[in-house]
Amino acid sequence: MAVVALALGVLIGLQVPLILPQAYAKYLSVAALAALDSVFGGIRAAMEDNFDNGVFISGFFSNALLAAGLAFIGERLGIDLYLAAVVAFGVRLFQNLAIIRRHLLKK
Amino acid sequence: MKIRGFHWGLALVGLVMGIMLAVQFRLTRDIEQTPPVQQTQSLAAQVNQARRERDQLQQQADQLRARLNRVASGPQVDTLKTEINKARLLAGTVAATGPGVEVSLNDSNLTVQPGENPNLYVLHDEDVLKVINELKAAGAEAVSINGQRLLATSEVRCIGPTILTNQSHRLTPPFVIAAIGNPDTMINALQMRGGVVEQLRFWGIQVSIKKLAQLNIPAYNGSISFDYARPAAVREGGGA
Repeated sequence: MAVVALALGVLIGLQVPLILPQAYAKYLSVAALAALDSVFGGIRAAMEDNFDNGVFISGFFSNALLAAGLAFIGERLGIDLYLAAVVAFGVRLFQNLAIIRRHLLKK
Repeated sequence: MKIRGFHWGLALVGLVMGIMLAVQFRLTRDIEQTPPVQQTQSLAAQVNQARRERDQLQQQADQLRARLNRVASGPQVDTLKTEINKARLLAGTVAATGPGVEVSLNDSNLTVQPGENPNLYVLHDEDVLKVINELKAAGAEAVSINGQRLLATSEVRCIGPTILTNQSHRLTPPFVIAAIGNPDTMINALQMRGGVVEQLRFWGIQVSIKKLAQLNIPAYNGSISFDYARPAAVREGGGA
């Protein structure tokens, strides 16, 4: 189900005629990283059997928006705040991956 | 119910995730394909430079073309033309027009006293020559007698009761000498005290001077040929 939806999303994203201005590429990249982190967090939660749909979805969107907003504000202020988002979400991503790996190994 | 919600969430997240990743992928690819701003600017600068150069060259070509036109239809040909006209005027091969005087000379109407030389009362070639000489001295630029243009080589010669000029033209009195030049200067020169006119009038020769604002002197209608004289050296560029 999730994989099908992902594939559908990729397809839509590739086919949609509207393309974002290149200036937003940075925000979107950070947002994508945050979303990716949320997804791995969700997978991890599902493996720990405490997956909550509301937490997952709200986390997904709020993380993405927050990361993009942070990058936006950082751009306006002349501080590379998106690096903070990248580092924070990157670290969490690897942590989540590590936990998922352990769960997989434990099985 | 819980599973359904779980799936619904996963589907939504997967969809959004897919869209984000795909859009990001396209964006990144676009950025890679788009030439950097600096390169774009340098290219634009090069284009502008080339355009400027082209404009300059165009301007240069226009200038050169204009110069070519000027030269082709311009002052050099014009100066040659004016020189030719000047030379023609001087040579008498072209009709001349301008302000001037007309001097009419006729034989004396005094009765010859017995014992006097009647030749004194007759108009002679010398008298005509004197008048012409005086006119030339006063700046006459073109002279004719009785419609015969006087050239540089023209003679005024007595042949019996008539005079001969331009080798073949007999002229009979009254002689009308037309001269283009400054009329006042020529009239003053002729009527100078002790001058030509006074001398002629002493012998009763009829002299009348007419000042004309517009005088036409015809061109010499014979042919000009040189059997002996050759131009010694032709100067390039036609100065003088």
